[in-house]
Amino acid sequence: MSRLLKFNIFRYNPEDTLSSPHMEEFVLEETDAMTLFIALNRIREEQDPSLQFDFCCRAGICGSCGMVINGRPGLACHTKTKDLPGEITLLPLPVFKLVGDLSVDTGSWFREMYTKTESWIHTDKEFDADALEERMDNKVAVGIYELERCVECGCCISACGTARLREDFLGAAALNRVARFLIDPRDQRTDSDYYEIIGNDMGIFGCMGLLACEDVCPKHLPLQNQLGFLRRKMGITSLKRIFRK
Amino acid sequence: MSISYAPAGRTGKWDGAMDWVQMLSGAGLILFMWCHMILVSSVVISPAVMDAIAEFFEATGMAQVGGPLVFLLFLTHFVLAARKIPFGFDGQKTIWQHARMLRHGDTWLWVVQAVSAMIILIMGSIHMWVVLTDLPITAIKSAERIQSGFWAVFYLILLPLVEVHVGIGLYRIAVKWGFIKDKERARFKRGENILTLVFIGIGLITLIRFLFLSVN
Repeated sequence: MSRLLKFNIFRYNPEDTLSSPHMEEFVLEETDAMTLFIALNRIREEQDPSLQFDFCCRAGICGSCGMVINGRPGLACHTKTKDLPGEITLLPLPVFKLVGDLSVDTGSWFREMYTKTESWIHTDKEFDADALEERMDNKVAVGIYELERCVECGCCISACGTARLREDFLGAAALNRVARFLIDPRDQRTDSDYYEIIGNDMGIFGCMGLLACEDVCPKHLPLQNQLGFLRRKMGITSLKRIFRK
Repeated sequence: MSISYAPAGRTGKWDGAMDWVQMLSGAGLILFMWCHMILVSSVVISPAVMDAIAEFFEATGMAQVGGPLVFLLFLTHFVLAARKIPFGFDGQKTIWQHARMLRHGDTWLWVVQAVSAMIILIMGSIHMWVVLTDLPITAIKSAERIQSGFWAVFYLILLPLVEVHVGIGLYRIAVKWGFIKDKERARFKRGENILTLVFIGIGLITLIRFLFLSVN
């Protein structure tokens, strides 16, 4: 006989004036290789069609199904119920705007962050569509690719104590994004240019080093190393900028 | 959520410098606390050794000048680190609920670091005032103070708080500035915890030695 799982799920629909935030209990029989994604779909199909949560790829690629699972931000599709106790509490990711129940709007946050960090290659070179792509050292390419693996699930932001305390803090996802361009030889921005973006308490100097971002990242991105790299880089840049004149 | 950057005219020019000073003042205080431990724990070997070290600091003027400078470093570190600590009730509630929800070791360590900082600010200031207004430092004077009862309890609270704060601080500097990489983090943390326990142990032995040192 398989386990009966008890789910405590946060329910609230901001669009409905009669709705108030509360926890609702659902009971479901566990099946083989069940993930939270499967469990939530079954609850929605069999028990409550109004339950809101996001998903798309169900394979840890799209980053849509981020939620707080027994206190820890994680991806529902990546989390097997057999690794969890019989009672599972699910909450929406904090920091982001709540759409309803477990669904949050990470898209607007990331779009705004991309604009603010100017998350694209800055170059004055004219693009020639017919030319061969410039060759890049393999080690550098692998380094960039490693940081590009971010699926923008928002788990690192929700797990960040600083982001919870201050709304204007960029967070690990954004700083990781900046680090990606910093190591890209095609981007012509200088360290001083990057300092304008992240060289303040809303950026790298706001990070308090709690490292929950590193510990919850479902893609196991090397966030701790990137944050350390950026702090040293921007720290040295800050001294150069002060003593330059 | 909205990301609002440094408003026009404020590019965070000094934020980097303040982060440096926060880190360096913390590192300086860690070094000082280690030296401090060498001084006071030398009483375990012999009160004469402690007196000789204290006399050296006295004769070279390091106690008279260094003492107030350490106090200044202490205050500088507090002012800079306090920029990150929520002093409003809402912020405190948020970080408390966050730590309880996440059940994440390093997040709890930060809460411990912040709370211990507040107590150390008060108790450390009292300790420095009492010692620096009654120079020179001697083993007998320290023993008399601790044997009065009140100060024994005072140091039994202050000692573990300082050692825990110093331990977490060293770990935090190492991971924040990337001196310790992700692969070395767990091992470094374990080593740091052991070091903290060792220092608390040496401190307790020192307190016991003072408690039973003959002051006559």
